[in-house]
Amino acid sequence: MSEEVGYTVASDSETTATKEELETEIAIGIDIGTCQCSLAVWNGSEVELIRNTRNQKLMKSYVTFRDQSPSPVGGVTNQLSHEYDMLSGSSIFNMKRLIGRLDTDPIVHQASNTLPFLIQTLGIGAKPFIAALVNNMWRSTTPEEVVAIYLVELKALAEARLKRPVRDVVLTVPAAFSRFQLTRIARSCAMAGLHVLRFMPEPAAVALLYAQQQLQLHKDSIADSGSEKIGLIFNMGAGYCDVAIIATAGGVSQMKALAGSCIGGEDLLQNTMHHLVPDMDTRFASRGLEEIKAMGILRVATQEAIHKLSFQPSVQIDIDLGNGTRVCRVIDVQEFEEINKRVFEKCASLVTQCLHESKVAKPEYIDDVILVGGCTNIPKLKNIVMGICKRNENYSGINSLEAAVRGAALEGALASGVNDPFGSLDLLTIQINAHSIGIRADGNSFVPIIDRNTTLPARREMLFTTAHDNQTEALIVVYEQGDDHEKQQQQLLLGYFKVVGIPPAAKGVPEINVCMDIDASNMLRVMAGVVMPGSGTKNPVVPLMEVRMPTADDGHGLCADALYRSLGSTLDLVTLHNKLNA
Amino acid sequence: MWKTLIKPPISTLTRRTLTHSISLQLLEQNIIQSQNQPHFSTLYTFTTTERPTISKTPKIHFIRSSEFLGNTSGFCSVEETSCCWNCKTQKRFLICESCGCVQPVDHSVDYFRIFGLERKFDIEDGSLEGIYKNWQKKLHPDLVHTRSKEEREYAAEQSARVIDAYTTLRKPLLRAIYLMRLEGVEVDEEQTVSEPELLGEIMEVREAVEEATDSQALKNIQSQMEEKLRHWSNSFANAFGSKSYDEAIKSIQRMTYYHRVNEEIVKKL
Repeated sequence: MSEEVGYTVASDSETTATKEELETEIAIGIDIGTCQCSLAVWNGSEVELIRNTRNQKLMKSYVTFRDQSPSPVGGVTNQLSHEYDMLSGSSIFNMKRLIGRLDTDPIVHQASNTLPFLIQTLGIGAKPFIAALVNNMWRSTTPEEVVAIYLVELKALAEARLKRPVRDVVLTVPAAFSRFQLTRIARSCAMAGLHVLRFMPEPAAVALLYAQQQLQLHKDSIADSGSEKIGLIFNMGAGYCDVAIIATAGGVSQMKALAGSCIGGEDLLQNTMHHLVPDMDTRFASRGLEEIKAMGILRVATQEAIHKLSFQPSVQIDIDLGNGTRVCRVIDVQEFEEINKRVFEKCASLVTQCLHESKVAKPEYIDDVILVGGCTNIPKLKNIVMGICKRNENYSGINSLEAAVRGAALEGALASGVNDPFGSLDLLTIQINAHSIGIRADGNSFVPIIDRNTTLPARREMLFTTAHDNQTEALIVVYEQGDDHEKQQQQLLLGYFKVVGIPPAAKGVPEINVCMDIDASNMLRVMAGVVMPGSGTKNPVVPLMEVRMPTADDGHGLCADALYRSLGSTLDLVTLHNKLNA
Repeated sequence: MWKTLIKPPISTLTRRTLTHSISLQLLEQNIIQSQNQPHFSTLYTFTTTERPTISKTPKIHFIRSSEFLGNTSGFCSVEETSCCWNCKTQKRFLICESCGCVQPVDHSVDYFRIFGLERKFDIEDGSLEGIYKNWQKKLHPDLVHTRSKEEREYAAEQSARVIDAYTTLRKPLLRAIYLMRLEGVEVDEEQTVSEPELLGEIMEVREAVEEATDSQALKNIQSQMEEKLRHWSNSFANAFGSKSYDEAIKSIQRMTYYHRVNEEIVKKL
């Protein structure tokens, strides 16, 4: 997301224009969490977290819609008199789990059943309808808008503290975020007048912080400063879980493997709520004032119970949900772990998968296990991760709630060209791609061209050929592969275009070269060209195509089906087999 | 970036296609894919056995031509003077030693020189990573964000090339093929294998892998394969050292076979 996207939105292009004047501006780091947000900036000698007027470093992520002015307000400036205020239907939260998702997404479905505001899903592959309750009326909004409103508050806070305009930001994102979701977040930033200098997967930000700490550690002790340390980062917050393996030496962290999933504290909460009130989905479906109130009571009580279960063996729940329904029972740790068995299994599988793909031969080779995010306080989760890594102690050098934003602020300083005379910015994280990107070919299969865990920037190409005799056009449909290994493979449409002008020939003869390029600013471009073998010329027969992705917009869930319905297999491609052996 | 759009299309595609032919990338990709994509095993079974990964007659003719176009495509306009574009001193390599500016890619600098190594097969284990990270600290696009547009382009290319160099040199098989290419010998391990006993052996091992029911059995085969790989790596090193290229090609072909069996084992494990 460098200046190249600048022209798409007015406020963004403005940013580009004034960039030269603001040469010395240091980009700030922002961690937008599902539950909490934080801001940090390099202050000239170290990273400093920016506090709001109530002296908070971590601010709740929500936006309240209301009638009177100023309207609406977010969790940066607003003071909640009680948690219930957030659950009255007028506040929108959990946006990080909703942004850029379609109404066919199970995550959106779960949210629509359990959140107190309105999420309507029609299950057709379009954007869900979201609304907040204002004066007993549902008023529509969008996840992008809510995030933008929140970002405006963050921006104002940063400007007040730093006493200068703030435009450039480094934003941390979950590894599981799709490229489409990134475009939505970038859109929110543009709406808020912010320019995204970099999106950083949360583990990559943590890796940068870790690199800095290791560098400083070795500076003091001089001994074995060159030795490489292998770290495993496990990050789980309210919305997402990320795992990464990194190799760090001399201030440089090379990411070895990265995996993530949309699984987090919110899932633990939803599962436990369903356990307490098994019929909650239907019971609260009408979203009347009574239902919303009951949902709020249930949510707050469950949340508190889960927190307590991290420190005590059992907890008493006693709540009145109205209409004569009372929930009064004791939950112990064992029961809690049983309810959430699948969540814990998923976390374990992410860690093992990451270890396997990093080619770190044995868990024993891991020097440090770095736990980040609120959920890592849960004893069961900690035990799972430490157990797989065969370690007793996790890395204690970082604050698990601030690590990501601190890393983002470091990256902000690096990307703004700041030099530190003491060498504490002599750092780098070499990033990898979290998802495979490929095209549809060989019938209805996904053929990856850039695999996940490929070091960035990256360029890969692959040869395809026609599926039919005298086929003159081919459709290139580009997908990103979701990494949910347990469910069926999720492929997300990024865009599509046609290659035309293929000279008539028997099937299997024309060579269609598809090349994918991810540049340093994580911009994906897909190129395609046609070559006729044996034609004597080494040049492509028609001009090459170059398409920046994603091109798909909202409602892209419909596109793939529509393409298939209207074109069938007439424009198909197949991977090129070895002609020598054929 | 716009520059690339208005350039002749070839330079767009060739910008980061470096002196080594594209087929090497395909091999690299093949290896990564078969290791990282267990879910597409059905899709890729044929590729591990049938698809040519290295071919004497490269299929992507127009990309291949980049090697010759490399210096004239306008984009990588390397003036053959050896001066730094910025300070005009002669001490330039990937970066200028006197002013620290990132230089345009010079394709005459091979991967071994980037890592300060002699052009031979045996390299010290673990010596690459440190040098790789050092280069990235000087070249990585993240760190030259505030420099001129030209220099940022150079950094992107140089950094990508160092990544390619690192992945190539790190893996014995890729390193062997690259060494041969530097000597002007393109390796096509598929085409010439006609020895029945080798093919028979490979068939047997494959069957054993397929039939293996527990991970211990797989691990046993794996250690056999690793032993074979070591043996043929040594044999390649010797053959290459004494410039008997036919023998070297033979070793590469065997390494490829055993390497693929190994991949299948990893997939099953």
